[in-house]
Amino acid sequence: MAVKRKLIKERVPTPERPAEERVKDFGEVNLGYTFELAVKEAERCLQCPANYAPCIKGCPVHINIPGFIGKLVEYRDDPDRAVKEALNVIWACNSLPATTGRVCPQEDQCEMNCVMGKVGDKINIGKLERFVADYARERGIDEELLFEIVPKIEKKGQKVAIIGAGPAGLTAAGELAKLGYDVTIYEALHEAGGVLMYGIPEFRLPKSIVESEIDKLRKLGVRILTDHIVGKTVTIEELLEEYDAVFIGSGAGTPRLINAPGVNLNGIYTANEFLTRVNLMKAYLFPEYDTPVYVGKKVIVIGAGNTAMDAARSARRFGAEVTIAYRRGPEDVSARIEEVEHAKEEGIKFEFFINPVEFIGDENGKVKAVKFEKMKALEERDSRGKRKIVGTGEYVTIEADTVIIAIGKHPNRLIVNTPGLKVERGRIVVDENLMTSIPGVFAGGDAIRGEATVILAMGDGRKAAKAIHEYLTKKRENGNA
Amino acid sequence: MPYKILDKKELAMNEVWYKVHAPHVAKKVEPGQFVIVRAFENGERIPLTPVEWDREEGWITLITFIRGKTTMRMANELKPGDEILNIAGPLGNPAPMKKYGRVLAIGMITGIVEVFPIAKAWQEFGNDVTTLHVSPNPMVILEEKFEKAVSRHIVEGFDLQPGWGMNEIAGELVKRAVAKVRELLESEHFDMVLTVGPAGAQKAVFNVVKEFGIPMHADLHPIMVDATGMCGACRVTIGGEVKFACIDGPGFDAYKVDWDELIHRIGFYAPMERLAMEHYMKALQGGEQ
Ligand SMILES: Cc1cc2nc3c(=O)[nH]c(=O)nc-3n(C[C@H](O)[C@H](O)[C@H](O)COP(=O)(O)OP(=O)(O)OC[C@H]3O[C@@H](n4cnc5c(N)ncnc54)[C@H](O)[C@@H]3O)c2cc1C
Ligand SMILES: Cc1cc2nc3c(=O)[nH]c(=O)nc-3n(C[C@H](O)[C@H](O)[C@H](O)COP(=O)(O)OP(=O)(O)OC[C@H]3O[C@@H](n4cnc5c(N)ncnc54)[C@H](O)[C@@H]3O)c2cc1C
Ligand code: SF4
Ligand code: SF4
Ligand code: FES
Repeated sequence: MAVKRKLIKERVPTPERPAEERVKDFGEVNLGYTFELAVKEAERCLQCPANYAPCIKGCPVHINIPGFIGKLVEYRDDPDRAVKEALNVIWACNSLPATTGRVCPQEDQCEMNCVMGKVGDKINIGKLERFVADYARERGIDEELLFEIVPKIEKKGQKVAIIGAGPAGLTAAGELAKLGYDVTIYEALHEAGGVLMYGIPEFRLPKSIVESEIDKLRKLGVRILTDHIVGKTVTIEELLEEYDAVFIGSGAGTPRLINAPGVNLNGIYTANEFLTRVNLMKAYLFPEYDTPVYVGKKVIVIGAGNTAMDAARSARRFGAEVTIAYRRGPEDVSARIEEVEHAKEEGIKFEFFINPVEFIGDENGKVKAVKFEKMKALEERDSRGKRKIVGTGEYVTIEADTVIIAIGKHPNRLIVNTPGLKVERGRIVVDENLMTSIPGVFAGGDAIRGEATVILAMGDGRKAAKAIHEYLTKKRENGNA
Repeated sequence: MPYKILDKKELAMNEVWYKVHAPHVAKKVEPGQFVIVRAFENGERIPLTPVEWDREEGWITLITFIRGKTTMRMANELKPGDEILNIAGPLGNPAPMKKYGRVLAIGMITGIVEVFPIAKAWQEFGNDVTTLHVSPNPMVILEEKFEKAVSRHIVEGFDLQPGWGMNEIAGELVKRAVAKVRELLESEHFDMVLTVGPAGAQKAVFNVVKEFGIPMHADLHPIMVDATGMCGACRVTIGGEVKFACIDGPGFDAYKVDWDELIHRIGFYAPMERLAMEHYMKALQGGEQ
């Protein structure tokens, strides 16, 4: 780099709505950069060479981060051009940047080892990625870029079925469509998007963004059959008769319950049910929308991952007093840092080292309190590096009229019962090319990993698309020979 | 994915019949299974049962009892030629197909709708099926179809008295069901009993059947949201274990069901359901002015 730059240590902040205001509605919390602010932040990037840049190594799909950030600075006098060039760089590895820019745990991935961190704040890669995607969407730049791709697609004449329209399935579908395959997605729910649609709330990921991503897939020629439950409406065996390959991206949607008395009392939700009612069915607009949800005055959320934060913050928006109860300590909270901070700003209380042992109900079968055992941490660590915890024999009872259980999920059950499909501990087993035990059937995302992240699911979708392409290319060649 | 309404009729008071084009369901559905219907953009997902279907022509029929906002809106707003936004399915497990011998299949009020495909299939499978419909007289439906499909169809109807609300109807329903079932079980031999209907009435019937020690299969109706096993709204306790009715059921061994828990869970949203209904009625009145 010829130009010698002045180091700017501090991050250019992104505007956020104040906590008192945002807890009253489901509007987005973070407002994102303007072009000017994005360029200012982009200028802070040291443009480390691509073969060395630690940010690229930290990103699970290896986006050329200095590459796209550099475009914003290079074409700063022509914002549309700058964004189009930047988006082109991102799209080479990631087709849902508006989503990942918002929901990736950047602090553990791209931003973790950013070299700017040695002298000041790390580059705000997530917010820059989000900016590029949002600006492109608002100005129709993403469609422009798409229309340049579509005519170049060479039809292969082979058909692929995708099971599940979450990030894994959507990414696989997009990649395969771009490669010229005839792609059909089978989705059980009435909307595509998976967790992006039913799990992650509007205030963190507006649904219009997910819809716009899905719209783009349709423009690539992908057919989406909602209301189709694979394993019920159609089996994998039947799909193999009609399609040349199948990709399973059915996620990890089965909620884990707490094995304690009273777990079926009224007012006790799994986070999935609570969030599905609120997000997918828009219960926050009840009775304009027909689906109800019950949020009492005192809500306890059990767990401390992203799902728990989302449930807690959603409940807060109904005016409840919300406590997050976690059996481990603060250092083991697995949610994104930004979400934990936002939750605290919004007045959510955290109680650590307590583990639910009983749900106490009233005479109508409705929960009124939760009995917890106090836990303590040992020095010894478990296989995941977390400190082991043990019960102390002391108990505490906390009143609550709504309880939300967010302690994790298992892969969806309907798919794993497919004969011939090898499954271990509920997860579909795949080889290094993401092929399952059934030839021609591939899988990725939470269905093979258990609960993971959006970007890992997308990475799998992309990898599987490549493997399916190779598999079908061979099939085509053998067919022609 | 919209699905066209081919035909619609009011079969009896508050009982509405729809014939809908839904080839993906028609092709696969088996007796005992259900679908999830989302009729309107801001609507709920509600479980309903395909009563009849034609695999070739790709249609199914549904019968709804006008109960709350969704079923009322469907009755008011949908006409033949209109489309239902979503019909997902078939869902749940088919009813077991076995030779039980003499079967008594009981449908209480609209529960009879779900009894129909199962009873018909059990009869065709070689069972001797008696069906019993306990219902207010103005809501008796499907009589002719049952008479053709099974060995014997009994209607235990009762008149509605002026001033009766839901509680009085439910009370009378339980009284009639219990008395009739006791009479049948005392006078005849049955190898298997099936019930579908309001959970309180199912429990009351079960308490009679239990005295006779006859095996009993109950289709349960907990509140459902996705019905794909993803949310746990439909959880029921069966033999001390938590099960999801949408993917583990909806049919279970009545002897293992925690009936009181089920009854509590089904009633949980009643105040909000009333609110939704009032909101809808107000909007209707507003629209008419
Ligand atoms: C509340 C919540 C918050 C989260 N927050 C974050 C976050 O901030 N950052 C992050 O990176 N990750 C987050 N995650 C995790 C992330 O959302 C998942 O790892 C990711 O969505 C997995 O993608 P997937 O495509 O594998 O599956 P999913 O997104 O689960 O999609 C699977 C799809 O398959 C469908 N399906 C299932 N079974 C069938 C069937 N039999 N037939 C047809 N369709 C079927 C489902 O309906 C669903 O649409 C969060 C998860 C939750 C629940
Ligand atoms: C497997 C299954 C099959 C069913 N088949 C039929 C059928 O063929 N015909 C029919 O008329 N009814 C059937 N039902 C019941 C039907 O789903 C309810 O009548 C309907 O949801 C009422 O909606 P509403 O808005 O009109 O009434 P609401 O005012 O919302 O509710 C009235 C009552 O209906 C029940 N209910 C409400 N929402 C749901 C829901 N999401 N899931 C389950 N129950 C709910 C509750 O008991 C509630 O108290 C079935 C239910 C199940 C679980
Ligand atoms: S995809 Fe996620 S990890 Fe990769 S650069 Fe974007 S925000 Fe960072
Ligand atoms: S590590 Fe940081 S400074 Fe270096 S290229 Fe990546 S974002 Fe820029
Ligand atoms: S209805 Fe959601 S799991 Fe059964």
